[in-house]
Amino acid sequence: MFDVNEFILKKAKELGFGDVVVLGYEMDRRQVRFANNEITVAKNWHERKVELFVELEKRIAGTSITELSEENIKRTLKALLSTLKNMAPKEDYYGIAEGPFEYRDIPETFDKAIVELDEPNEYVETAINAALEEGAKRVAGVLYTDHNRIYLTTSNGVEAFDEGTGIEISVRAFIGDLESGHGTNSVRILKKFDPESAGRKAGEIAKMAQNPEQGPEGKFDVIFDPLAFANLLSYMSFMTSAYAAEAGFSFLVGKLGQKVANENVTIKDVGNMPNAYGTRKFDDEGVPTRETTIIENGTFKTFLLNTSLAKKYGTETTANAGLVMPHAWNILLEPGDYTKEELFSEVKKGIYITNVWYTRFQNYVAGDFSTIPRDGIFLVENGELKPIRNIRVSDNFQRILENIAALGKDIHHIHWWEVRNPVFTPYVLVKDVGITRATK
Amino acid sequence: MHELAEFAVEKALELGASYAEARFEEKNGTSLAMKNGNPEGLEVISDRGIGVRVLVDGGMGFASTNVLTKESVAEAVKKALKLAKAAAKVRNEPIRFSDEDFHEVYYEVKMRKDFRDVSVEEKLELLKKVEEDVLEAGAQTPMRFLRYSDQIWHKIFMNSEGALVESVIPRVSMMYNLVVFENGQMEQAPFVQRAFSGGLELIEKDEPWKWAVKDVLALQRLIREGRKPPEGKVDVVISPEVAGIAVHESVGHPYEADRIFGREAAQAGESFVKPEMLGERIGSEVVTVIEDPTIPNSWGFYLYDDEGVKARPRYLIKDGIITEFLTNREYAAKLGQRSNASARAINYNREPIVRMANTYLAPGDYSFEELIEDIKLGVYMVSFNEWNIDDRRYQQRYIGREAYLIENGEIKHPVRRPILEITTKALWSSVDAVGKEIEFYPGTCGKGEPGQGVPVWMGGAPARLRGIPLRRP
Repeated sequence: MFDVNEFILKKAKELGFGDVVVLGYEMDRRQVRFANNEITVAKNWHERKVELFVELEKRIAGTSITELSEENIKRTLKALLSTLKNMAPKEDYYGIAEGPFEYRDIPETFDKAIVELDEPNEYVETAINAALEEGAKRVAGVLYTDHNRIYLTTSNGVEAFDEGTGIEISVRAFIGDLESGHGTNSVRILKKFDPESAGRKAGEIAKMAQNPEQGPEGKFDVIFDPLAFANLLSYMSFMTSAYAAEAGFSFLVGKLGQKVANENVTIKDVGNMPNAYGTRKFDDEGVPTRETTIIENGTFKTFLLNTSLAKKYGTETTANAGLVMPHAWNILLEPGDYTKEELFSEVKKGIYITNVWYTRFQNYVAGDFSTIPRDGIFLVENGELKPIRNIRVSDNFQRILENIAALGKDIHHIHWWEVRNPVFTPYVLVKDVGITRATK
Repeated sequence: MHELAEFAVEKALELGASYAEARFEEKNGTSLAMKNGNPEGLEVISDRGIGVRVLVDGGMGFASTNVLTKESVAEAVKKALKLAKAAAKVRNEPIRFSDEDFHEVYYEVKMRKDFRDVSVEEKLELLKKVEEDVLEAGAQTPMRFLRYSDQIWHKIFMNSEGALVESVIPRVSMMYNLVVFENGQMEQAPFVQRAFSGGLELIEKDEPWKWAVKDVLALQRLIREGRKPPEGKVDVVISPEVAGIAVHESVGHPYEADRIFGREAAQAGESFVKPEMLGERIGSEVVTVIEDPTIPNSWGFYLYDDEGVKARPRYLIKDGIITEFLTNREYAAKLGQRSNASARAINYNREPIVRMANTYLAPGDYSFEELIEDIKLGVYMVSFNEWNIDDRRYQQRYIGREAYLIENGEIKHPVRRPILEITTKALWSSVDAVGKEIEFYPGTCGKGEPGQGVPVWMGGAPARLRGIPLRRP
């Protein structure tokens, strides 16, 4: 697709545009959805498109072009030019990265075996059977395979290519109406794929969750399963974008250099992590992706930036472009040194939450939120787990981070419908978490 | 594109599909954002492609492509068939569709002021108007994020049973996030949207800048005069906006038949409603909830769904009784019914699934004054921020953004963040009176995997809830 990219860049420069970014995609994606132990639908997507970003004297515009004929490209560029000429400039626009850059191959991001995989239904059956073996009656979920190619060309000397694959599964197992569990597995190379573990975990939790009683309310020490804590970290990843902060969607506004979490908390964005679902060689400006420490030992170090926002704040890009909105690639909460058993033995009386969904905010800048546990929830009392139901986590993001008392030593890669931004997190113990329930 | 859609359907039948449909979709439009007074750039939306869905041996396959050539479409058809065949092997029961009457029909929503003829500068002026009016309102609003968006949705749907539905629906919307910060306190009105199907005249008539000013002044007053909400059992009057989110979350969603039968179990969840609950009481006699895609200029507007079935109003609750579920053809067949045209797909590359359109609490016969006149102690919840509901759509929570104390039949000072955390049955059983005047509020309803955010309206009349143990933050 580089020939298309080059044609677009050449024509854009001829028309007088300043910064130009041409990002071509070829995507092949396959999905198998299942419910009630059977496949409900199987899908295939084939897409080819170019995302185009142009600048004209600080006026910026973006579009995507799917009809890639020379005529349509010329027509699109001319339309953008005539529109931009009459628009007000974005005074705080400071340009894109100056290339070229050197890129390194990132291990475990491409696997020909996934491209050549004829039919993934056996993995679905493996996951369903593992959950059923654990005692589940109904199993639902989704499996994806991905093959992506990205072609990047910019007016600042970047020409870059990346090719990636992935396979992942999300499995939810049910026994009755109120007893369920959830497990996921997401990898970039086929031989590391373990759908059985996802199905087994879903089934195990469903089995443990049988005959739940109404849960309590008040302040409790809560152990968050990686699946549950990943949800909160995924929302937080959006709030680490400088764009979100400016737009009034972040509890980190005005807190650079301040303590925003317990000292044991270090959170990073790692764009170049091997075998991670969000990994890419370069960001949308062509800057090689890297590791960025967002919170270090509890102190907030940086927002995620692209070149323009970095210049606005007198600093360097963190390689997280998004040309308009910087975003995280893979969020990682550094592990601690507790085994899972040690973590549970820390809790004399508390709650173990295996999954949450529907996280919503009363106030983004304050960080006040609530989220609903779904699947197994357990009272933890002197090492015993007793299933409960119908509670809600109602608290504040920063207070949750400040109250992290212990972290497990193993980290888990979480990526599913509710956790769109991939997250790596251990089991997390948080003190004094607000728990509420319906009053009527 | 008619030929390409027809080609896809014929090709699928030729290759052995027992049912085939093709849906061409094209979306064209513009989007503009403004952040703290700075224009954030222009986004031009131009997207089109075709999606093909087939049944083979009782298995369902779907494939889409945005390369609009015969070769590429033929390839997509082949893939859909291959996937359907393989899926059929992992099924206990073949998928069947309900019998329906199909039409050849064309419809469009007319624009009095066609946004395609309006310059980007003029559209930017709409955002500037919000910006200026908010700044002049006299409240400290350090963070202001505004968005304008317009799109024309053009669809051609064809199936192997004779349906040919072509539609052109323009959609226009404005959104804001405003943060008010005064006296060291901060309140927020996030993701507030005004949106319609139709031309730019609808936004101009609606005057989103007035809504924005109303919001920042209410938040300023909340900071200056807000007190704790009352504790213990009180009466709560919910506005059309709060009634809207409540009917959407706790009536619309749990009545989606695919959810009732577990198809959404791993994503948007299950339902406390079972098929045998049709005819059961869920609310008081004054509660009627209607789902109606055909409301002119509504954000959730359509006349035919994405399976080619003609739309009509659906009575989900009538006089407190569960009367109808939302169905597509697959789940109508399971229920032994006809589809009530709830199948929607957000784009060519998504499968149609059971969705809401415009859900509302039907009006009663109380004026607003009558709703509050005999309340000794209560709260009037005008708008909400934080909300959520559990997997089975039973335990929900709505926190007031703008809310006031009601004392001896009068609206008094603002109250801070009253929390309504309640079960679905308790909520609708507590309603003893419903107002006369209905209003609608737009939203984006999320469901499906990959996610499909579809435009919906939510609303209805205000309602009075008796004896609610309201919670404080």
